Amino acid sequence: MTEPVVRIENLSIDYVVGAGRFRAVSGVSLEVPQGHVVGIVGETGCGKSTLAQAIPRLLPEPPATIGEGRVVFRGTDLVQVPLWKMPAIRGTGINMIFQEPLNSLNPAFRIYDQVAEAIYIRRIRDEGNLVIDHRPKPPFDYSRGPRTDAGEALLRPIVPPNAKRAVETRRRREGLRDEVLEYLRLVRINDPETILELYPHELSGGMRQRVMIAMALSEKPELLIADEPTSALDVTIQAQVLTLMKELIEEVNTSILFISHDLGVIAETADELGVMYAGKLIEFGPVAELFEAPRHPYTKALLHASPTRYKSEGPLATIAGNVPNLSHPPAGCRFHPRCPIAQPKCRVMPGPMLEPVAVGSANHKSACFYPGEVAGIP
Amino acid sequence: MSGPPLVEAVGLEKLFPLTRSVTEMYRGSPRRAIHAVDGVSLSIGSRETVGLIGESGSGKTTLGWLIARLHEPTGGALRFEGEDVLPLRGTALRQWRRNVQVVFQDPVGSLDPRLKVWQIVGEPIRAQGGISKVEVRARVKELLPTVGLPPDCLDQFPHEFSGGGRQRLSLARALSVNPKLVVLDEPTSALDVAVQAQILNRLVELQRERDVAYLLITHNVAAVRYVADRVAVMYLGQAVEVGTVRNVLEHPIHPYTKALLAAVPVADARRRRTRFKIGGDVPSLVNPPPGCRFSPRCPYVIDRCRVEDPPLREIPGAAGQLVACHRAEEVKDIAPESLLTTVDAPTTPKATAPA
Repeated sequence: MTEPVVRIENLSIDYVVGAGRFRAVSGVSLEVPQGHVVGIVGETGCGKSTLAQAIPRLLPEPPATIGEGRVVFRGTDLVQVPLWKMPAIRGTGINMIFQEPLNSLNPAFRIYDQVAEAIYIRRIRDEGNLVIDHRPKPPFDYSRGPRTDAGEALLRPIVPPNAKRAVETRRRREGLRDEVLEYLRLVRINDPETILELYPHELSGGMRQRVMIAMALSEKPELLIADEPTSALDVTIQAQVLTLMKELIEEVNTSILFISHDLGVIAETADELGVMYAGKLIEFGPVAELFEAPRHPYTKALLHASPTRYKSEGPLATIAGNVPNLSHPPAGCRFHPRCPIAQPKCRVMPGPMLEPVAVGSANHKSACFYPGEVAGIP
Repeated sequence: MSGPPLVEAVGLEKLFPLTRSVTEMYRGSPRRAIHAVDGVSLSIGSRETVGLIGESGSGKTTLGWLIARLHEPTGGALRFEGEDVLPLRGTALRQWRRNVQVVFQDPVGSLDPRLKVWQIVGEPIRAQGGISKVEVRARVKELLPTVGLPPDCLDQFPHEFSGGGRQRLSLARALSVNPKLVVLDEPTSALDVAVQAQILNRLVELQRERDVAYLLITHNVAAVRYVADRVAVMYLGQAVEVGTVRNVLEHPIHPYTKALLAAVPVADARRRRTRFKIGGDVPSLVNPPPGCRFSPRCPYVIDRCRVEDPPLREIPGAAGQLVACHRAEEVKDIAPESLLTTVDAPTTPKATAPA
């Protein structure tokens, strides 16, 4: 029995906006086992991206606050780690791929510099020399008179004291050419020598996402969080990137948390799947089992809502009603106003916890009082 | 079908010229242009839905705009109910616009944030002229329930609506002048699956109630399957395959259509072991080379494909299906799944996680 890479226990995240406060993620517990791909699906606003960004503490805090719960990674609770210590854990520990690669690449640097930077940072981190002090500096206290450091700056030598280090950095980065090429080849980029000298805007969307994957993998992360990595791409390019990811999953053997709104994409990549609704994880289980025999009415409705029929075959199945407003979530089970099998109990009892369903494998859990009756929904 | 089709585009072409730098002008280098739509012929019957699928940059939106006369074509002809509409100008053009309305791609950007619902939805009615504010409000109030919005939201602003609600507003605006054709440009791509299903259902119902024809522009194969009667597949400014929705989606002939259908992820956990075999990126639209545009990526390419542009032609044995491929007869029966390879499961099965 190996320890999971990351264990999320009862995590709740609030957003404080003006006088309002709403819970984007409430009481989510989740494990990503070693070498597995865990998928998370849900509609817009269900909290899946908030959850993904909360793990490496990339959420802007405030307005977000982690209300309660733990994120256990390498035996430490990341929620308790001060923010300025997080850069040492990101990168080799937890790395992310975002939806829009153009926003995540720096437009002012060549591809070589950006991939080399990732490799270079991994090197010095491996040597234990990475010191990134992001501790907030106290604001200047004007009550003690005017600032005096403005004049001081003029007296400083023109060569800054850390120039030696800058030269050293550049020299070490230049020597990374072979390694950069190796990673670009790993993500199946044709003609990587040319690509090295290009800027992000000169690449197509699929290429940019490949570069992002190369950068993420070059740090050899233990956990990779992919937040909608293919949503901005065209279908044939998406299929290429998914094929690449599937191949790399087997070659590199990292653990992946894969966020998507597309059930098809998840079905093709994930081993286990969690379904989120209105901030809660409502079902979790092995992908094949979840698709064949969902044990939560929302999962079933979501699976049925993807249009697979012709107009002559009758109207599409929809989910009645709207996604609840998270500042006033409904009492009881959050899905009960839209649920076809809701009972009086569902309206009153506080939302059920994620519990193993009696049928199916031990790892299949559902947050429904009546998981056995879901199969009977037409 | 009797009489002329509602819309008939013949060899429609739209080139966007690129500006030349001073150096290029002195050197006398050739003028270059983006071939956004390059000789597309398409007809839409009344009360018919034609789906236009293709990836970004395939020219599908430009074609939709050409048909709605939001772009001036650089070549070809466009007929509406048998009459040439390209010479229309000024008042005549504005009068004609009541026939064709557009639901734009971006539900946020296409609704003026400073206008109220009745002003947005009533704008096409007012543009046709000769109607008072009170009448516009009354017409809008009648119209809103047909797209599934409450009639009492006349004085709300677009930001008060969800994504699905905004798309409904857009649809109400398009339907306000009882058009004969609505160009739907990616009506559901910004929406979640559940909301998408609601909008698609509504579209089909509205078509039955109001006898309107649709041109559905989307990259979403599932939406086209449900809404469309006929489908045109576009690749790099050209229509590569046209046919009824069942024929095209179930028996695609053109290699690009096969690739497109094979690439769509299916919510089926057994597809996990499959790999997509088509490589390469979509090439540039600036002065595309002669020959078939798909030839650099096509797995069935022969020398002829790189030289000669294949015309859109009828394939014997495939009723009414038009395909632009030299080898259509040979590749006709190859299933799209053959563009996927199945990989054996890893030798060591993954251990189940400790419960």
